[in-house]
Amino acid sequence: MTPESSPPSRDSGVVARLRRAFRGALVWYGFVLPPLFLILVFIGYPTAIAFQQSMFTEVPGGGQKFAGTYHFERLLGDPVFWGALGNTVLLGVAFLVIIIPLSTVLASMLNRVRRGATPLKVIYFLPQLTSSVAIAILFHYVFQPDWGLLNGTLRLLGVNPLPLWLAEPRYTLTGSRAAATILAVWAGLGYFIIVVLAGLQSIPNDLYDAAAIDGASPVQSWWYVTLPSLRPTFIFLIITGTIDQLARFSDLWTLGGPGGSPARSLQSIVMYIFQQGFVGSDFSLSAAAAVVFFVIVLIVTSIAFWGFLRREFSAVR
Amino acid sequence: MERRLDPASRVAPRRPRLLPHDWRGQAGMSIVLWIGAFFMVIPFVWMLTTSLSRKADVSMPRTPSLWPPDPSLFNYMIATDKLPILRLYLNSLIVVGASTAGYLFFCSLAGYAFAKGRFPFKSTLFILFLATLFIPFETRMIPLYLFMVQVHLTNTYLALILPFLAGGFGTFLMRQTIANIPDELVDAARVDGASEFRIFWTIILPLCRPTLATLAILNVIWRWNDVLWPLLVTSDTDMYTVTQGLALEGHSQGTYTGVALATAVLAIGPVVVAYLFLQRYVIRSVVSSGVKG
Repeated sequence: MTPESSPPSRDSGVVARLRRAFRGALVWYGFVLPPLFLILVFIGYPTAIAFQQSMFTEVPGGGQKFAGTYHFERLLGDPVFWGALGNTVLLGVAFLVIIIPLSTVLASMLNRVRRGATPLKVIYFLPQLTSSVAIAILFHYVFQPDWGLLNGTLRLLGVNPLPLWLAEPRYTLTGSRAAATILAVWAGLGYFIIVVLAGLQSIPNDLYDAAAIDGASPVQSWWYVTLPSLRPTFIFLIITGTIDQLARFSDLWTLGGPGGSPARSLQSIVMYIFQQGFVGSDFSLSAAAAVVFFVIVLIVTSIAFWGFLRREFSAVR
Repeated sequence: MERRLDPASRVAPRRPRLLPHDWRGQAGMSIVLWIGAFFMVIPFVWMLTTSLSRKADVSMPRTPSLWPPDPSLFNYMIATDKLPILRLYLNSLIVVGASTAGYLFFCSLAGYAFAKGRFPFKSTLFILFLATLFIPFETRMIPLYLFMVQVHLTNTYLALILPFLAGGFGTFLMRQTIANIPDELVDAARVDGASEFRIFWTIILPLCRPTLATLAILNVIWRWNDVLWPLLVTSDTDMYTVTQGLALEGHSQGTYTGVALATAVLAIGPVVVAYLFLQRYVIRSVVSSGVKG
């Protein structure tokens, strides 16, 4: 980094050039090494340990014994793991199936409406800024069966019998999984609307002009011009949304604890990793689940990265 | 230059031309949108009224009301009594502030080297940095927690800050931004005898301000809302972050509705107020990066 203090070296040729190249490179290592060190210690090392733990068994009194695929067999034989994986997939799919059409319709209206678009955007985005923990606590009471905001209102409207929401672990449209999905859609709507809005605003006007000249009604041009043009936005939202949903934790943990009460109906795969490792101290089983989780996310991320995100990233400059 | 660097510039309002001004359509859309907005706001309003109602802890009215029958700050007194909320805010500010400052610094450092540097193994190292994007935090959280136990860092700020000081996403974003800065600027400074670090600090970083702001906003949202990692490494009430304290207290206050919701209001209130002032920048950051908060 400091200017050369030694007298210019006389030795000509390869050695001098190598030395100069090395000195030039040294500065850059000064830039790269501190972050590299952090990444190796706090990302690389624990990841390696997760893989290692999944294949070894802790021997009481210290030391480890190679266990091969034993912990993975244990994991795959555990109905609780399959339940958690099933919940994660079910809740993720339900969330995306509801939120993408809903946010598309609302964003299309928001894009066309002449008055009040800005305050509306701010309002829809508000829950996004609120931690999912706070939202889960709030909705824990909103869904309270006797006096919660939702059932209290439904009673006023004469609904009888009132749904049980979070107290109902079975697969119904008014059970705990439905409540968790409503919560997630409510919380995530603002983000999805904002992303779809950005997609809408990048559609060239010429397309709409052409549709109008052909005599298309606003609804027709929405269906035949807007929706097909939003394809990249939908792909992006589906892929990032999938990764996000796979890692779902804090709201479900706040609603149902690490076990995902009631009756494990809200346990996600990350909660399973958390419960086995942190609560149950079965580090090998937790690590095996973590490795399986890693592989699932890797598959989705690879599709995202090579198919779409690479382009998206290079657009951000 | 500034404009081109600003990723948010592509989110400019543009509406289809040639569409007739149709007041009935406009009115219909406005009604639908405001009904939706009503559903977005009403739970917050209900949270506020319930937290202000002293009776909420004993018996809730079977019909929800949007005005507290007996306004009092009782629940807030209990909430602040149970949880050292100011201390929690201090913890969160320290953790979020330090990890965001560190994240911006270390990611820019690596980003500068990968954008403008020439050194052996550059592309290999860059790929290594990018590879971290493929490793979800949840995969390594338990070993990372065990590591923190081993080095006796549990219940310290360091445990909450250190794991988040560098990452592939920030490095990538900074590299892309810095690569767009013309080489001539850097070369001119080099001819003037400025050291690489001086160039980085006085020329490169100021030019990256929009990207740094985006990255800072995203990181603040991530770190502020994170509850998984604090749950693992802090068990001492005085070391809780705001979000963590809310998660644990809100849980244990199950039957005391008013207190739990008062805690929630205390935990999100300042963030929401800050958001109302900064909403333009916040929304831009989230959109431009395409990454969820």
